[in-house]
Amino acid sequence: MSNPYTQSDYRDELRAQHTEPLLPIEKKLIAWSLGIGLVLLVVLALVNHFYPPGT
Amino acid sequence: MSNASLTEVSPHSVAEAARISEDWLAVILGLAIFVLGLATIVHVDLIGWVVNTSIWSNINQALGPASKSYASLGGVGALMATYVALTVVLSVGAAALGSDVKKFALAFTAVFWIAYASWIVGNYANFAAVTPADQQKFGVSWSLRLTNEGAYIFALLAGLAIANFLPRFAVAIKEAVRPELYIKVAIVILGGFFAVTAAGKLSFASSLLLRGVAAIIEAYLIYWSVVYFIARKWFGFSREWSAPLAAGISICGVSASIAIGGAIRARPIVPALVSSLVLVFAVVEVLILPFAAQTWLSHQPLVAGAWMGLAVKTDGAAVASGAITESLILAKNAAEGVHYQPGWILGTAATVKVFIDIFIGVWAFVLGYIWTNYINVTPAADKARLREIWERFPKFIVGFVITFAIGLYLALGAPADIAKTVPAAIGEANTFRVIFFILTFFSIGVLSNFKALWQEGFGKLAAVYAVSLFGFVIWVGLLISWIFFNGVTPPLAS
Repeated sequence: MSNPYTQSDYRDELRAQHTEPLLPIEKKLIAWSLGIGLVLLVVLALVNHFYPPGT
Repeated sequence: MSNASLTEVSPHSVAEAARISEDWLAVILGLAIFVLGLATIVHVDLIGWVVNTSIWSNINQALGPASKSYASLGGVGALMATYVALTVVLSVGAAALGSDVKKFALAFTAVFWIAYASWIVGNYANFAAVTPADQQKFGVSWSLRLTNEGAYIFALLAGLAIANFLPRFAVAIKEAVRPELYIKVAIVILGGFFAVTAAGKLSFASSLLLRGVAAIIEAYLIYWSVVYFIARKWFGFSREWSAPLAAGISICGVSASIAIGGAIRARPIVPALVSSLVLVFAVVEVLILPFAAQTWLSHQPLVAGAWMGLAVKTDGAAVASGAITESLILAKNAAEGVHYQPGWILGTAATVKVFIDIFIGVWAFVLGYIWTNYINVTPAADKARLREIWERFPKFIVGFVITFAIGLYLALGAPADIAKTVPAAIGEANTFRVIFFILTFFSIGVLSNFKALWQEGFGKLAAVYAVSLFGFVIWVGLLISWIFFNGVTPPLAS
C-alpha cells in the first residue's frame, strides 16, 4: 500500500505543529535518562578497562 | 520535468492484505538461503550458481558462478540464474506482503539490473584495484582504490541519480525499492557468516558483546534524551513530533521512529515524514564516514566498525557502511603489510546496530507508558502494555540469532570433517548477502530525495537532523567507540 500523504500534507503539518512548554515529566525523563546513561557508561568503561577484549 | 511527490517514493507501509510482516519474510528468506548453502556440507551444492563479481579489466572475467561446480554456467548464465531465482522468490514474498506481484516483478527487474550493473561498473579495476601489484595484474596505471566493496557506492549513486533526476522512474519502480527488506535478509545471512568468523576467537568475540551493551545505553539513554531536548527546547517541536524525531535520529531512522510514534499514539504522518528524511542523512553519512574512517582510523579498525554502528542511523546504511569501512581499512593495512582477518569490522558494526535494534520495543514501551499515563492520559484500554515490547521487537533479529547459533555450533561443535566445510558453505550464502547489500544501497539511493530538504517548512526539521546528527551523535559515537575499542585490533588472517 503506498504512503497516503502528499507534500502538501507534510507542509501543512509542519506549519501547524506548535510549541509546547516542557512538562515536569519530560524534564525528569531527559534528566534521568541522561544521568543513568552516563553512570552506566562509566561503569562499563571501568569494566572494559579492567577486563579488556580477549580476556 | 515534475518533481515526484515526497510520498510517491517512500518507505513502504505494511499492506492491509499482508499475510506476513516484512520482518518475518526476511527471516524466512535469509534462513532459506543460509540452509540451502549449508547443503554443501553433505556435498550437495544447491546455490553455487549464484553470480559473483570480481575486480576486472576484461569484462569477460568480471562474472562467474560462486562455486566451481557450476563453472559450465559461465558468468552471464550465473547472472541470469540469479536474476530469475531472486525475481521468483521475492515475487512470492511480495505476494505474501500483499503487494501486486506483476508490478513487483517488473519493478524488481529494473532494480536488479540497474543495481547489479552499477556493481559491475564499480568493480572495474580503475575504480577498485587497491595495491600496485593488483593494478599491474589488471593492466591499469591508476586506480581510485575503492576496493571490491567500494562498488556499493556506485549502486547508491545510481539510486540517487534516479531519485533526484528521474523522479517519475523512481515512482515507477517503487514496488521493488525495499531497502529495509533487503538489509534484513542480508543481516539474517550475516549472522552465520559472523559466527564462523567469531568461532576462531570466541573469548574476543564475546567481550565485544559487552561493548554492544554500551551502544544500547548510548543510543537510548544519551542520544535520545539529548536529541529530544534539542528538538523540544531549541527548535520548538511539539511532543508528538519530538519523540519520533529523536528516535529516528538516535536509534534507527525508520523502525524506531515508527515504533515510538505508535507507542506515544502520534498520528502516522509524523513518523512517515521522519522516516523520509532519515535516509537522506544516512546517505550523506555513508558517502563520508567510511572514507573518514579509512583516513583517520585505519589503525583502530574496531573503533571504525563500532563508529559505523553507532553513528549511521538506519540498518541498511549502518551495516553497509561497516562493509565499505572494512574493505577500505583492510586494504590500507594490507598495503602496509598488516593482514587482518576479514569479517570483524563488519561484524562489529552489525552487532552494535543489532544490539541497538533489540531494545526498540523496550524503549517504545517505556515512552508509551509515560505518554499514556502522564502526558496524554488515555483510557485503560489504550494504555501501553508489556506485550507491545514483543510486538515492536524487530523480528529479523530472531533470524540473525538463529543463523549465528547454527554457524557457531557447526564451527565449534560439529566433527572436524564437517567443521572444515562450513566456511565454504557459508561463503555461498554470503554471496547472496552481497547481492542483498547491493539492492539495499541502490534502494536507499532511490528513496533519498535531496530536494525534500528544500521544501517549504522542511528546513526546521532538516536543521534538527543536521544539528543533532553532525553536531552530537557522530562525535559522541566516535568518543564511545574510542573508549571501548581503542587499541583492539582484529585477529590477523591465517
